[in-house]
Parts: sequence; C-alpha cells; structure tokens
Amino acid sequence: MTTMNKTDVEYTIPEVTPELERGPVWLRDQRRASREAFNVAEVPPRGLHLWRYTDPKTFLYDRDAVADTAYSENYDIVEKIELDNLKNGNIAALATDLGGRDIKLNGADELAKQGVVLSSLSSAVEHHHELVENYLYRLVNARTGKFEAMNGALWNDGIFVYVPDGVTVDKPIHLLRESGLARSSQFPRLLVVVGKNAELTLIDEYGGGSLDENEGISHANGAVEIFGLEDSRTRYVMLQRQASAMKLYLTHRAQIERGASMLTVPLAFGALLSKENFGVTLNGEGADSNMYGLLFGSGYQHFDNHTLHHHAADNTSSNIDFKVVLKDRSHSAYTGLIRIDNDARTCQAYQENRNLLLNEGVRADTIPELEILNEDVQCSHGATIGPMDPESVFYLEARGIERDEAIRMIVSGFVDHTLKTVPDDLRQRIGTFVAQRLERI
Amino acid sequence: MSDAIKQQNESLSTLNADYAAKYGFHDPVDYFHKGARGLNHEVVEMISRMKKEPRWMAERRHEALDIFYSKPMPKWGNQQALGEIDFENIYYFMKPIERQQDNWDDVPEYIKKTFDRLGIPEAEQKFLGGVSAQYESEVVYHSMKEDLKKQGIVFLDMDSGLREREDIVKKFFGTIIPSTDNKFAALNTAVWSGGSFIYVPPGVNVTVPLQAYFRINAENMGQFERTLIIADKGSRVHYIEGCTAPVYSTDSLHSAVVELIALDDAYIRYTTIQNWSRNIFNLVTKRATVHKNATVEWVDGNLGSRLTMKYPCIQLVGEGARGEVLSVAFAGVDQHQDAGAKMIHAAPNTSSRITSKSISKDNGRASYRGLVKIHKNAVNSKVSVECDALLIGDDARSDTYPTMEIDSEKVRVEHEARVSKVAEEQLFYLTSRGLTEDDARLLIVNGFMEPFTKELPLEYAVELNRLIELEMEGSIG
Amino acid sequence: MADFVKVATVDEIAVGEILPLTVHHRDIVICRTADGFFAVADECPHDSSPIALGHVDGHEVVCPRHGARFDLATGDVTAPPAVVGIETYEVKVESNDIFVKLN
Repeated sequence: MTTMNKTDVEYTIPEVTPELERGPVWLRDQRRASREAFNVAEVPPRGLHLWRYTDPKTFLYDRDAVADTAYSENYDIVEKIELDNLKNGNIAALATDLGGRDIKLNGADELAKQGVVLSSLSSAVEHHHELVENYLYRLVNARTGKFEAMNGALWNDGIFVYVPDGVTVDKPIHLLRESGLARSSQFPRLLVVVGKNAELTLIDEYGGGSLDENEGISHANGAVEIFGLEDSRTRYVMLQRQASAMKLYLTHRAQIERGASMLTVPLAFGALLSKENFGVTLNGEGADSNMYGLLFGSGYQHFDNHTLHHHAADNTSSNIDFKVVLKDRSHSAYTGLIRIDNDARTCQAYQENRNLLLNEGVRADTIPELEILNEDVQCSHGATIGPMDPESVFYLEARGIERDEAIRMIVSGFVDHTLKTVPDDLRQRIGTFVAQRLERI
Repeated sequence: MSDAIKQQNESLSTLNADYAAKYGFHDPVDYFHKGARGLNHEVVEMISRMKKEPRWMAERRHEALDIFYSKPMPKWGNQQALGEIDFENIYYFMKPIERQQDNWDDVPEYIKKTFDRLGIPEAEQKFLGGVSAQYESEVVYHSMKEDLKKQGIVFLDMDSGLREREDIVKKFFGTIIPSTDNKFAALNTAVWSGGSFIYVPPGVNVTVPLQAYFRINAENMGQFERTLIIADKGSRVHYIEGCTAPVYSTDSLHSAVVELIALDDAYIRYTTIQNWSRNIFNLVTKRATVHKNATVEWVDGNLGSRLTMKYPCIQLVGEGARGEVLSVAFAGVDQHQDAGAKMIHAAPNTSSRITSKSISKDNGRASYRGLVKIHKNAVNSKVSVECDALLIGDDARSDTYPTMEIDSEKVRVEHEARVSKVAEEQLFYLTSRGLTEDDARLLIVNGFMEPFTKELPLEYAVELNRLIELEMEGSIG
Repeated sequence: MADFVKVATVDEIAVGEILPLTVHHRDIVICRTADGFFAVADECPHDSSPIALGHVDGHEVVCPRHGARFDLATGDVTAPPAVVGIETYEVKVESNDIFVKLN
C-alpha cells in the first residue's frame, strides 16, 4: 500500500486493559494519570516548536488493532552474535526485550553477585519496589507530553538496571529491543539507576519492525529514564537500526548528580520515520555530560532528533557533537537546546551540529538553541550544512583513489570521531551499517 | 563582593530612574483630531476618509481589519508580554497639526524642543538629504533637497506618496508583506498612517542617506507607519530611520510595516536605530525582495521599547542577489529584545550574511530568532550566520533560536553563536592600565558593538555611543 | 517511479475540495476545480504549512497560514508571501480513477 489516505486520526486510550491493570497501587495510579493526560492533551499543533517537521498524528494509532507478536528472523542472528559476545567475555550481560512484553535475561545471575540488578521492570516492581517507585516516571511522565503519557499508560514490560554504590560494571550490558513485524505496536521502557561512585556502560539496541510497507507499518513508542547518582560514571549508547517500515517515537531523559559524568551516544540508522529526544539534566555541582550523536539517512528516511542539555547546578559542563549524513531523498531535522538556569553559575556548554549532504534531493534542517539565564557562563554552538568538500575529493582523486572510494573515505573520516566513543565489537557492527549505506554512492 | 562593586550594584538599581527626566518629557499637544480608543470598521473608514484616499486603499484597509480579527496572536515568543496588549485601549489615529510643513522654521517649537534634547537637529542639518519627521501619526515636516528632486528621486511621506504617485504605490503596496502574513501586518494595513515612500529611478545613485525621525507622544497611542522603498534597476539608496520616545505610564503599541524592493543590480541599505521608551510594544514586519545581482542590507539597532519583536527578512529571488543583516540589541531593565533575521534563498548563486550582537543587562532579555531557508533551486548559495551575546548581571538572559532549512545540496551554510560575560582578563588588563572599572566595561561594550557602530554615519555612531554610555552608567561588577 | 499511480476515485473529491494523500513517501494533495483534478505537494514552500488545511479558490490553492496562493496547473506563485512555486504532479483520470505521476 504505497498510497495512504490521511484522514484524521481520533485516538483515545480506552480503559487500561486488565493485562496492564496490575501491580501496586502507585503504579496503577501512574498508569491512570498517564492515560488521562494522553486523552486530555491536544495533539500538538503542526508547525509549532519541535513539531515543525513531523506530523504528530503519525504517532497516533489504535493499539487494539495490532497485537502481532511475530518477529523478524534477523533478530535471532543478532541475539546469537551478542550471546557469543557474552560467552567470550566482551559483554557482561544480555537482555532481550521482545515487543516491550517478553524479557529474556542472560548473565544477570553473574551480575547479581556484585549486587547489580538486571531484570524485567515487572519483576523489579515486585522485588525492588522501593527503587522502582522512587525513580520510575520521574523524568518521563504524564507531564512530559502527550506521547510520553501514551507510553506511561501502555507500557507492558521493560528493563530495569541498577548498579549499587561503589560498584563498577567493567563490561557493557547489552539490551536488545526487538519490535514486532507489520502492524505491531510496542511501548518499550527502560529504567536505569547508577549508584554513587558506581560505573556502567549500557548498549541499548533497537531493531526489528515491519520490513515492508505493503504489509503495514509497525510502531514503537519508547521511554528511557537514567539516573546517575553522585560521582557515578555512565555511558549510554543507543543504537537504532529498525526496519524500513517502522515508525519510532522515543524520549530519553537522564539526570546526573554532583560530580557525576554521563556519555550519551545516539546512533540512528534505521526506521522509516523516527523522532528521538535525548535530554540530560546536570543536577549537581561539577556534573559533566557529553553527547556524540550520529545519524545516517538513506532512501526516504525521515529523522527528527532533539537533544537537551539542561544545566541546573553550578560548575557543570556539557558538550554535544551531533553529526548527520544524508543521501538519496532522506531528511533530517535536528533541534538542540542548551539551557542554563539562573542559579547555575560558572557553567560551560558547547554544541556542534554538522550536516554532510551526499546528493541532491536530501533535506537538512538544524535548529541549535541556547537559553542562558545568568552571566557566569561560557557557551557556544556551531552548525554547518553542505556537500562534501570538492577539494578533499579532488585531492584524493589526484592521488589515484577512485571517486567512490574517495567519498567513502571522507564519510568514514566524518563519522569516525563519533564511533570512537563506542566499544570495539559494537563499532565493527556499526561500521557495516555505514559501509552498506555507502555502497550505492 | 567588594564594597566598590556593592556600590555599583546599588547605583545600578537606580539606573534609568531618571530616564523620564532625560527623555520622558512630553509636550502638551493640542491634537487636531483625537479619535476614540479602540478599533472597528468605522475607525478604519474614518482614517481613510480623513486622508481622502482612493477607494481601493479603503477596501484594502477593511479587508485587512477582517484578517486582523481572524488571525491568532503569535503562539511563540514572550507570551506574557504579548498578552498584555489591549487592542481596545489604543488610539489608532491622531493628527497633530493640520497641514504639512515644508520648512524647518515652520516646525512647531515644542517639536523642535523634543528633537533638541536628543541632539537631532545637528545631525539633520548636516545631512539634510530630505526629512520626514513624524510626530504622532502624520508627517509634520518634510523637505527635500533640490538635487534629489532633479534626479527624479521621490521621497515622500507615505500619505503624500499615495496621493502623488498612486500608480507606483498601487503596483507595489503589500506585494512583499500581504495582510495575511501575520496579525500585526494586518493591523498595520488596516490603520496605517505616515511612514516613508521612496522611489529611486534606474541608475540613480542617492549619495546622501535619506533620513526620517519617528517619535510618538501620546498615551496609549499606536503608531502604524507604512514604508515602501523601491530602488529601480542599477540605483543605490541608503535610508536611515531613528526613533526615540517619551515615557508614559501605560503601554503603547508600535507596529510598522516596511517593504523594500531592490530591482536588478540595485542596492538598498536600511538603517534603524530604535529607542522607543520602555513602555512600548514594538512589533514590526520588515521584508525585502532582492532581484538579480541586487543587494539589500538591514542595519538594525534595538535599544528601547519594552518588547521588540522584529526579524528583518531578505528574499533573494534573483540570481546572484546578496543580503546582509547586521543587528545589535541592548536589553536593560525589564526589556525583552526579541530580534533576528530571515534569509530566504530562492535563486542560484545567492549569498547572505547575518551578524547579530546582543547585550543583556540586569534582568534584560535578548533573543536572537532567525531563519535561513535555502530552496531547491538556490544552488551554489552561501550563508554565514554569527551571533554574539554579552551578559552583564546575574539575572541577564540570552536566547538563541536559529532555524536553518536546507533543501539544496550544493550550498554552504555556517552558523556560530557565542554567549559570555565581560571577560575578567580584559577588565583586569584595562583597570591595571589606570581605567576605572566602569570605563573599562564601557570600553569593552563599545568594542563589542563596534562592528555595528562603524557602519553608521558619524553622527549616529556618536549618538549611539552616548546612549550606550547612559545605559552602562554605574554598571555592575 | 515515473509511472502513474492510482491514488483515488473521482467521486471521493467534489469540486473545490482537497484530498491529502501520502504517495510513495510523498505528502501530496489532490485538488478539484471546475477544470478537473490537480496534484501538488502538501507543503507550502513559504513556511512548510500543510496545504491540505487550505482551500481551493477558482484555479488556485490558498495556503491556510499566510495566504500564499498558487496556480494549480503550473504551481506558480500568484500571491505572496511565498516566493517560489509549489511542486506540481501530472494527473490523469481514466473512467472513475485518478492517477498521479511522481517525478
């Protein structure tokens, strides 16, 4: 079905299904509040800030119409790679999340010996209820927005990671989140708490989804909440390689306390349409956040990304480097906000957004924003948009390198800096995504 | 905090308390006509009849009023301040004296007195290429140098322009900014009065800047000038608009529409120094269309008003067209300068540059809001945007909201923004050379503004520096 | 994708109406005037507003937000504030079916 009639979607969430009407009172209250908020909230008007480039109605769909639980065979392959990685000691554990419903764990028992918790959210609600009640819905909730409320009402199961104070998880924990095939819809959710002076590297990989528009689109609406307590060190890599007939809405929020550091690496290659929102609040003195984003669009892909660095405490520092490569008829819109509160003194914040356009027909929009509410700051941002530097291509050609190869080399150089922040074995896999996209240049 | 700095802080809190004494005098004016407050089709009809306008303009006004009613207020920007505008409590038309003056000696004494306090006559006398000094809603003084006339240059207030050159006005009026563009453009179209009309014939180079001084002086009095400048093929013109206003206790609305047309190979520079009193809402739509190999430059300084929302726009519609916006904003106590620029590249080989400088002081807020749009056909276009913000004071605020929409591959777009406070090292260096801290700070601020001031005619640069000095008096540490 | 694609039937659109569609990942609108059917992009080149919410006036389509007008046959701007034309697509009608050709 390549032609779609865009009649208005009027979708409200009916009563929460018995399947979700479970767990403690506070959780049921949160769900109900989210449902109410979703039903009451107007669809954001098209054209307003953050909704200028994507039609919000894209993310409204009737959940009841879709309960397909089939998954692509592809996911078995990736799961096997990661299981091998676990066996070989490259990663500490693997959690597989099918459709935001079924959570399979590998290596969690070994982590438990350190006091580290890797479990399904449903199990954590039972066994770690104090932690979960304290943190879940704190950063992404009914007040965040209509679509965040949608996840808050409809998530079925998710993943919970907890690292106790002083504990270092020395290898990455890998989360593999697989979406169902055509016409499926899922609401994955992740809660991460990294204790005081603890350390964690988390790979959050989103795959699957409908492979063929003619069979139907599949949807995901995800929520990620990460807490970095005092002096903690957290690295979060989000790899999005969903299938070509998938639509994704995802909101990530992290909050880091005094002396904590956070590295966030959003990598986007997949999905037909995705709107991903990454935000870190620097909530304690001396907190430090770095973000290295990379997006590679091809075909008719549409990406709408936001980043937020919110400085809410003194002496905090942040840096964002968001790179975009576009080919074919792909479109990227990037909005990045740095906000420095009135009572957050002596802060430093930097942001860079570079867009490389590989052919005619692509479109790049960039909105790097600053809101600075006191004088004691050092803050800057920069953005560039343009084609490959013809002189660089010429230089390489002059040295006997073929044009296609020269272009590949330049793009690899462009993305290399970002990929250096990713663990080795994952970087190799990402390298193949980049190579695949450069094949047809 | 040292005692000296504390003292400075204290003196800062009283800064501009004497603003009223400095600028805020207002003269008792015997208005020839003082209409009622509020807006409706009768008011619009009355304005048009008093001006004895052609019917098509009256119809334009009525149509625009309906569009004004139907358009929502902007849903972005300073919602709180915008919400305070009470459209029903504003005078939409006033006429200070009955007939136009064409001689400086005939300008009423009380108006001259007002200009005197701002040092305007000197600048005018020196530069008198032609003056339309607007006081209230109508032009009270208008003179034109003989050689301008001889060259066929038309420089009139807009009302006279409509009477004398109806053909040109009818052809271009509202073609760059239609009433449907936004709520305030619709309002202006409905009730406009005064403003400048300039037509420069092909190949004519206007060697002296054309100037107009605007001033408003009545409680809850709206000013809705309408300016239209057409530079015909290969001509050159520089227009300067400057304004100051007395202080009143309740809010006042100023909403101008300025349309510029630079035909092939023409050049227009439009310089504004805006210093409305701090109770004024200044919501202005300014836009230029630039044809083949032509150039338009907006040089835009915003010092006054309570809230300014102004984003001069340049539409590069002809191959090789060039646009430049150079803007400076100074936001002091309770002020919000929401300014910026828009560059629309709609033809190949077009180029543009935006340079924005802002200073936020005390609890002042300066926002840069910009748009760069490159259409598919604008291949080989180049854009560079640079925003610099200086913050002075613990509660100063600076925002940067640039939007870049690029629909063409073979382009080069670069954007940079920096926000910082006055550097301690610079202050230390200057004070160690014997300057007081205030002088050192003023020197640094003047240096920061220099790319703007150096583009102004000397008299204006001097006046601007004087205004900055007043703003900075007893600045904080 | 230079082929005609069937997108709608004649009876789905009355004269003066606009039908928004997504065809091959492109958002377009089909407008019906007294002269027949026309297809243009569902995005005003001025400020990216969806044209679908606008209206047809004679042989023009009017953007709902800032009033820009475009000639449906050629895509040319007929009223500001737009400065470039809207993308148009070839349309053909066979019996009761409307086909659009995307370039």
